[in-house]
Amino acid sequence: MAVIDPTMLMNIFLIGISGTLICLAVHFIPVGGAPAAMAQATGIGTGTVELAAGSGLVGLITSSYMYAYEPAASMTLVMAAGAMGAAIMLASTMLAGGYIYAYGVAVPFASAQVKKDPITRERQDIYVSKGTQGQGIPTICFVSGVVGSGLGGAGGGLIYFVLMGIYSPLIAASAAAVAGVFTMGVFYVNSVIPSYGVGGTIEGVHDPKFRRVVPKDVLTSFVVSIICGVIAIMITGGMS
Amino acid sequence: MSDIKEISPNTLALFGIIGGLIGIYLSPYAPAAGSIGAICAVIWGAEAVRRVAKYGLGTGVPSIGQIALGMGIIAAMFGLAIVKDKILAGPIVSLITASVIGLIIGWFAQNVIKMKIPVMIRCMTEIAASGALIIIGYSASVAGNYEFNNIVNLVFDNGVILAVFWVGAVAMLHPFNACLGPDEKQQRLLYLAGSTGAITMALMGIAALMTLGLGGAITLVLGIILWLVFYKKFWDEVYKDAASVVGTGLIPKTEA
Repeated sequence: MAVIDPTMLMNIFLIGISGTLICLAVHFIPVGGAPAAMAQATGIGTGTVELAAGSGLVGLITSSYMYAYEPAASMTLVMAAGAMGAAIMLASTMLAGGYIYAYGVAVPFASAQVKKDPITRERQDIYVSKGTQGQGIPTICFVSGVVGSGLGGAGGGLIYFVLMGIYSPLIAASAAAVAGVFTMGVFYVNSVIPSYGVGGTIEGVHDPKFRRVVPKDVLTSFVVSIICGVIAIMITGGMS
Repeated sequence: MSDIKEISPNTLALFGIIGGLIGIYLSPYAPAAGSIGAICAVIWGAEAVRRVAKYGLGTGVPSIGQIALGMGIIAAMFGLAIVKDKILAGPIVSLITASVIGLIIGWFAQNVIKMKIPVMIRCMTEIAASGALIIIGYSASVAGNYEFNNIVNLVFDNGVILAVFWVGAVAMLHPFNACLGPDEKQQRLLYLAGSTGAITMALMGIAALMTLGLGGAITLVLGIILWLVFYKKFWDEVYKDAASVVGTGLIPKTEA
């Protein structure tokens, strides 16, 4: 089997890149975890993996839908479809969550990590309740979350596109299922790794934690995704 | 705390690997055996989750179940596909591949992400390996054997793999997620792991009714019986442990 083939190397590299995109995406999403579910921390009230995988899998669905109806679609188009699906999914989650925080829990949206919202320039610290780490989903977190889920969806679309290109000539009928399941596996691995680096909660791109954990998480994800890429290519050796 | 004798991790690993592989290798003759093998792997995996999640992952126990099955599914597909005609080697190649992926992720988690969990590397390896066995075991009992093209046709194409993935992940992560706390005991967790594994087996039986016809009924009925047995055991453990809970009063002001 010719692993030295430049197309193969390119495919492995693209799978590595898409895994890294997914990993990077997780850091942009305002994950509040259990504290946010009690409105005691900024962000969406569930875990990193759930949010990353949820938005990523919706991205996978939209990109595979695009690919199924337009098999000649270019890579960027499939990635864009994934990014749109994931961004819409996360934006609607944050919007619905925001309504509950605003009208159900009745908390002002404030970030505890920055003094002023980098986008709206509104002061944050005076609205943070005592003993909490901020509440709700302020503008910067919302924007950061949409950008992040877009990256994750694009990553999911990219890996699906690459795998479809590899598997379709070999197992025409089942290529979508095999590529989809493999993408799901890579997705979970790459959304859990950064969640260990993040360690529970992150507010988004403005969080000081972002700069601290991104390099090592991205490195880990890239190496692990490259290994997944090699495995994905080697699977073709057993297909008939 | 440890006056109760616990089953050692090595014994459980052997139980999971040998039980899992025997079950998978018997699945072409009796599809239900694949699921029983997977239950062995679930019990092993749940205990490995227990050992690593005790340290507090910061992201909740579910994350480790998801990464386990994520690594497991990649390794399982690889192992079953790469061996071509020598299908007997498939499950073992998957197991080894999963262990290697787990080892690498564990090493990175420990040394690059710096999670500072001493058992991280070992547990990640065990969790990935048991994840691969869970995927192959349950898939084999739905597809009737563990041959890659057959599994693709009968498990992947119709979407049963999603149930294998998710319910398998929950079977593995739920026991510790439900039992964790100061009075957590290995015995109780193992019985609960058996019961989650068995209820997954019953679900796989429903899927097997669709793919294998009446042969799947055995998996379904056996799964329900095993579930009742393990759940009763778990129930008894809960009652036994609950009786020994005593009031400790307020926390003393000074540390003894």
